Amino acid sequence: MNAPFFKFEYFTPDFSLVIAILIGIGFGFFLEQAGFGSARKLAAQFYFRDMTVFKVMFTAIVTAMVGVFYLGWLGWLDISLIYLTPTYITPQVVGGLILGLGFVVGGYCPGTGMASLSTGRVDGMIYILGVFAGIFVFGESFSIWKDFYVSGKMGQITLYELTGIPYGVIMFLVILMAIGGFIGAEKVEKYFAKKDAEASK
Amino acid sequence: MKLEFSKANAPRYLAVFVIILGVIGLFAGDIKNNASKNIDNKELALIVESKVDHITVDDLADWLIQGRADFRLVDINEEKEFNDYHIPNAENIKMTSLLDGGLGKNEKIILYSTGGIHAAQAWMLLKANGYDNSYTILGGLDAWKDRILFPSLPAGSSAIDSINFEKLKAVSRYFGGSPQESASAAAPSTATLKRELPKLSSSGGDGSSATPAKKKKKEGC
Amino acid sequence: MSTIVETAAAETLVSEARTEVKPKPYMNPYLAGFGLGLVLLSAFVIMGRGLGASGAFSSMITSALHSVAPAHVEGNEFYSEYLGDGTVSPLKDWLVFEVIGLFLGGLLSGLISGRSKFTIEKGPNITAGKRLMFAFLGGGLMGFGAKLARGCTSGQALTGGAMLNVGSWAFMMCVFAGAYAFAYVMRRQWR
Repeated sequence: MNAPFFKFEYFTPDFSLVIAILIGIGFGFFLEQAGFGSARKLAAQFYFRDMTVFKVMFTAIVTAMVGVFYLGWLGWLDISLIYLTPTYITPQVVGGLILGLGFVVGGYCPGTGMASLSTGRVDGMIYILGVFAGIFVFGESFSIWKDFYVSGKMGQITLYELTGIPYGVIMFLVILMAIGGFIGAEKVEKYFAKKDAEASK
Repeated sequence: MKLEFSKANAPRYLAVFVIILGVIGLFAGDIKNNASKNIDNKELALIVESKVDHITVDDLADWLIQGRADFRLVDINEEKEFNDYHIPNAENIKMTSLLDGGLGKNEKIILYSTGGIHAAQAWMLLKANGYDNSYTILGGLDAWKDRILFPSLPAGSSAIDSINFEKLKAVSRYFGGSPQESASAAAPSTATLKRELPKLSSSGGDGSSATPAKKKKKEGC
Repeated sequence: MSTIVETAAAETLVSEARTEVKPKPYMNPYLAGFGLGLVLLSAFVIMGRGLGASGAFSSMITSALHSVAPAHVEGNEFYSEYLGDGTVSPLKDWLVFEVIGLFLGGLLSGLISGRSKFTIEKGPNITAGKRLMFAFLGGGLMGFGAKLARGCTSGQALTGGAMLNVGSWAFMMCVFAGAYAFAYVMRRQWR
């Protein structure tokens, strides 16, 4: 098996668009099934009432991470051919903070916004319009941000390359962190559910 | 310890399974990108011999026309030569700074120099340092000029050759070259051969800042 | 114990609905995450790239602007990255099609589980108009931030997270940090 299939030209760029739709359907399906079409459910994450965002995200990350590692280990998947967004640490830190603010204000991220739009949520539709506006503002003012945008350049780099810790060990640590986080998340939800129940008495 | 994941047991099994996989991963060793890799000289020699790590100029031209963005094209010629002409999208990296971190071990790297010898040396250097996904252009920049920029139809060619030549001419014009019409049997004079290198759109002395002739679309989010 | 919020959300929906279709409960988060992870993994294996969302919106905006003011877009460094060489439409892009799929997948899931309904998601203490205003504002911040960070939660946090990308992990931590930091300010909207 030679994967990624596309990079080995098993099919044409045009056919990849069909695959894009199929993968997108899977993406949207699980986002909506997880409850990410609802801004209230998403936002509850940040009030410790519902840790679904954390649970779903980290289960997905761990699943894909373990899959990539073992497929690579078996020699079936050439990890070096998977696109890695280059790291520009400063704009990514600042962008992340802005995104976090946008998340509690808007209630969605672009992917979940699409999922909510598709189930008829009016706020999701308005939210997506907002995303367009935000990108437009960024695009129009790009010359202002240009220098900042390319600051803190570290190239295409992974945690195991940065730290020198073997890939498998990093994977193990992420798994431990995730499982620990899940146990904590269940506890936090219970605690706040109890607290809310008492408060409403 | 009782893990209260949910009423369903499936997540708990998944958790146990993933922990086992994680523990195995601890001892699995590295997959790729391992800098301290011993290179097998014999294996390396075999690869060079079998030419599997070569890319033809035709393939490269196709990829550039398709706008594929999954590779880095590296020109290791002198800066002056690079500024005179380079293949669109190429970046100029000196042999001495190849390992300075500009290139990623997980990137597909395509090297070329004028004739190909320097590129082969650079390729060995990269390969020995764990850049497993490096390639050289067969024939180097000379081959690019002969075949892509200034293709010519040899005298006494068949009709099929002529059809293929039409395609080559289209490719050539795409890259700003000039097909050598006069090389055909009809006009044997070599004096009219025009081999003027296409003008580069950028004037930058720093290779990395040179604007690519063809813009790649973003692959990331 | 997400059931409390779930039932609360479900009750809101039911009370607003004229036709009493009771929405099915959400999938177990770990199973949904596992499914999402498999989708992401198949994107890696089949395409050699991860998922994304905000990139598609950039392509759409670039395409729209290009039809109105071509010279302006071509002269802009940001847009021209999404424009390519001009031989194909910016809309003929993997992410654009993936987002179309994302819409279809959400639609399918919503219909299967009886959650498709024209309604506004908001807390009990805020008017619909204010909620929509905040949705627009939040979307704007998100669009801007996602471009600055070279990706959103899908393209950076999820995809880069699974690939152990340094920038993605830094980004992910900052998203959570930012959201928790401002959660108190925004509490009236949700609680």
